[in-house]
Amino acid sequence: MNLDSLTTEEKKILEIVRTVMDPEIAVNIVDLGLIYEIHYQEERKRIHVVQTLSTRGCPLGDTIMQNVEVVVSEKYPGMDVDVELVWEPEWTPDMITEAGNKAING
Amino acid sequence: MQAGLSTKNAPSPNVILPYFSFGALSFLVASIVLLIAAPDLTRYYLSPRLLTLTHLLILGWITMIIFGALYQLIPVVMEVKLYSEKLAVISFFLFAIGLITLSASFWTFNFSRNIGLEVGGYFIITAVILFGINTLMSAAKTERKNIENAFIITSVIWLLLTVTLGILMVLNFAFHFISGSHLELLKLHAHIGFIGWFLMLVVGVASKLMPMFLIVHKLPVKLLSYAYFLINGGLVLLSIGYYYFPEKWFMLLSALPILAGVIAFLRYNYVAFSKRIRKKLDTGMKLSATAFIMLAISMVMGIAILIGPNFLGAMQTRFEIAYGILIVLGFLTALVLGQTYKTLPFIIWLQKYQSKVGKIKVPLPQELYSEKLAGYHFYTFVASIIVLIGGILLAEVLVIQIGAALMILTAALYNYNVFKIVFHKEKK
Repeated sequence: MNLDSLTTEEKKILEIVRTVMDPEIAVNIVDLGLIYEIHYQEERKRIHVVQTLSTRGCPLGDTIMQNVEVVVSEKYPGMDVDVELVWEPEWTPDMITEAGNKAING
Repeated sequence: MQAGLSTKNAPSPNVILPYFSFGALSFLVASIVLLIAAPDLTRYYLSPRLLTLTHLLILGWITMIIFGALYQLIPVVMEVKLYSEKLAVISFFLFAIGLITLSASFWTFNFSRNIGLEVGGYFIITAVILFGINTLMSAAKTERKNIENAFIITSVIWLLLTVTLGILMVLNFAFHFISGSHLELLKLHAHIGFIGWFLMLVVGVASKLMPMFLIVHKLPVKLLSYAYFLINGGLVLLSIGYYYFPEKWFMLLSALPILAGVIAFLRYNYVAFSKRIRKKLDTGMKLSATAFIMLAISMVMGIAILIGPNFLGAMQTRFEIAYGILIVLGFLTALVLGQTYKTLPFIIWLQKYQSKVGKIKVPLPQELYSEKLAGYHFYTFVASIIVLIGGILLAEVLVIQIGAALMILTAALYNYNVFKIVFHKEKK
């Protein structure tokens, strides 16, 4: 996870991704800790988002990933948005941010 | 497709929705039958009207919804596509026709040969075999060899045994080829159906879904393996006992591992609920938690019945009826009511909005039904069970009728929500 060392452009992308909600929990996926990496590769015209899901076989998995791709592509027309799903490291509830925890029980 | 995703594996909603719709309507009809059959609940459990009620509840309501939900959940738990959607559709129609025929025939049943029962039974057993083929063939494709899958596969095998025994009992009324008491066979049929099919399935599905909904990780999965071997072992002993040694000590001996297995499962759920990140429970989860409490109480009642009748005396029959009602209308109904809200809205939501997320503002799945009404029927349901159990133990018909009226109200509110979800109009 390298969200602490994001460039300014990547931070912007993170904020766009923050609009994507997990439809079951009704909390954004950044605060749920599902986003592991964001890479803005201007020269390759590529945005690479690495994410996980809270559960294998999650029925809403592709919808969430598709949502990420749609919202980022909309703000970055002409860039190739690639959302990659990984299972390592395994997601744990410790990855939820404080804001996420508040939103879950809010 | 990336490994571990299941949306693309999900079957068409058109395969699943008839199961949920038919199930919800059966619950409403069964609640009305409960009101009509109230006097029978003070006497004996083998009356024609109670047989109609039982089969409407167990097959029309609970099994119907479980079949539908399972077709949706197999891709989630096993990470495979359903073997055949066509088989699932055929199975629905056979099951529905069989259920209607069977329920109607039981109403006028006089404990002798009944063609309606035989025909209804054949339809049901064919539907169940098709369901069994579909689930077991899907399971054969999975690469996920885990305890949840083992529970689901084993439960399907017990279901096949349950309906086979059911049809053998019906045929036995005509041909008398099984010696021994019909009552003992009925008890065996009920117990392998309840413990082997429902309980095993519930354990398998709940162990996957509860952590997902509650947001909790690192649960003591070993408890589930203990539960698997204890429940199955106990059930095999119990089945042998009913036929060969229908004696109290043997029954008790086989009930103990089952009880220990259920305790292991309840302990797993207790840990899940207490370690959960998501503290606030919606109605779906409240109903599920209530179901587990009812399961615990019914297990205590089951053991009390085994130790009786000296202990219960004249209360024995009433206690047994209350036990059955607590399992079917309490535990299983609470779980099905609750889990409907955790599955059905998502099926419709994915159908209507999957391609629109991110492009337009879409409602959340939980906005497809009225949480307020669901909250109301949580209370009417719990009140209904308490009043019903009280009425049965006191043998007061009026009290049972009040309980039944509360159950009709529960079913009506639930049906309103189910059909609000099913007929949800897409927001443009």
